[in-house]
Amino acid sequence: MREKVCVLGAGSTKYGKLNESIVEIALNASKDAIDSAGITPRDIKAGYISNVFGVTDKQVHMAPVIMSNLGIPDVPGLTIESACGSGSIMFREAYANIAAGFYDCVIALGVEKITHTGTVESTTLFSYCSDFFYEGGNGASFPGLFGSMARAYLATYKSSEEDLAKIAVKNHENGFFNPKAHIKKKITIDDVLNSPVVASPLKLYDCCPFSDGASAVILCNEEFAKKSGKPYLEVIGSGRGASPAAVQSRKDITTIPSTIDAAQQAYKMANLSPKDIDFAEVHDCFTIAELIDIEDLGFFPKGSGAQAVREGRTTLRGDIPVNPSGGLKSKGHPIGATGVGQVVEVFEQFTNKAGERTVKDAKIALTHNFGATGASAAVHIFKKME
Amino acid sequence: MSKVQTQKQSSREQFIDCAKTGKILVNQCKKCDNLILETVYFCDKCFNNSFKQVIFNGKGKVVTYTIQSVVPEGFEDVASYAWVVFKMDECGLNVSGFLPGISSPADLPLGTPIKVIDFHDKHGLVLKKDENSL
Repeated sequence: MREKVCVLGAGSTKYGKLNESIVEIALNASKDAIDSAGITPRDIKAGYISNVFGVTDKQVHMAPVIMSNLGIPDVPGLTIESACGSGSIMFREAYANIAAGFYDCVIALGVEKITHTGTVESTTLFSYCSDFFYEGGNGASFPGLFGSMARAYLATYKSSEEDLAKIAVKNHENGFFNPKAHIKKKITIDDVLNSPVVASPLKLYDCCPFSDGASAVILCNEEFAKKSGKPYLEVIGSGRGASPAAVQSRKDITTIPSTIDAAQQAYKMANLSPKDIDFAEVHDCFTIAELIDIEDLGFFPKGSGAQAVREGRTTLRGDIPVNPSGGLKSKGHPIGATGVGQVVEVFEQFTNKAGERTVKDAKIALTHNFGATGASAAVHIFKKME
Repeated sequence: MSKVQTQKQSSREQFIDCAKTGKILVNQCKKCDNLILETVYFCDKCFNNSFKQVIFNGKGKVVTYTIQSVVPEGFEDVASYAWVVFKMDECGLNVSGFLPGISSPADLPLGTPIKVIDFHDKHGLVLKKDENSL
């Protein structure tokens, strides 16, 4: 019998170019999450940390360093890496350990610091997250891999680069209201279409930025949450999926199988369907990724996502608001932290801290995050507790 | 005189040697005949762990691609190139590689015939348009 798992507190740094060390960035988010939950570090029984490129700031094996600096060096921690999906995949492991009854309260923290390395080095480092022998090693960057998926999608379904641009415009509109967003700037379709090509057909504004940042949540069982007297959310669905690592090995390059599998598991666990979701934070590392995501998550039939975008159905006041935080595109993408940052957004939305980007009357939310081109994915569903 | 031990080539090294002659090395499961491109230890259809190697002609048709403008380290010396996924004519498997000399989508319609010509230390699996098949 599974324990119910709750999100009791959440905290996040600003995403962007940060001067602090990776450890300081991590601790800043951790402190905010601990304060938000109304607990002390002594309540934390385990630490789950996600990070990909700590080596660039001379810190790997991060968990014991974080736990020591939180004043709990005797509390076990582990560090998980799954490229851009690290945050949600780590969150799933933290969730599973609470659900299994191993711990009553843990911290789930994602962190990244990468902007100090510069564009060429970052581009190269990220390419190591691909199936390098066939992809990065043959000159493909991450924008390039998604560029190839975009080309395949645009050739297969009735859609255009302008549809992709609309997604970027929407996410910047939302991110403008997020005080922690990396790029708080409204843009137009022309801004996107006229921006420099990064990897055709994707242009600069089709791509999320390289960001530093950290996000943390406190996860606990229901008994712990109720005793706290603080507002909390319940995690009612969790799913994990996997796809062939290389784009070349997928039967259909216009879909991400790991998303479909993870979503189906999460919906089944929650006893819900896509139409029950009030808003979603999805993985929009590139505009084409969001277009594929909203189909793979079941919000729109395959091939009809572009039409839904044109009709404004994924805007803040649309049928299914997607990325009210601004998404990876505007909020930013510190790759080890992003999946946890999505949970922080859900927590802020459900505890009346989202300000002008609040989704009205929302009670059920979904987060979706994947690694690389979708080789690994996790989907979680959350319920607002009244 | 000490005994010189020759190390058996890894499957990846064998793949590279084949690519230098314009061929693609593929693994075929001895139990179910499944063809798998990557270095494999277990067949993803029947989980058998015994394979034979089959060499195919490195010719195929473009499935999708991107033209890289912001390039990773090691590719700064190339004026313009595409990273290409192509489907091999002889066996239907997809492979990806590096195709220099592509600077606009007009240069490379989907379905263009291409072929493997080399494996380069810095640029990986090198492709070229197959002019004879155009």
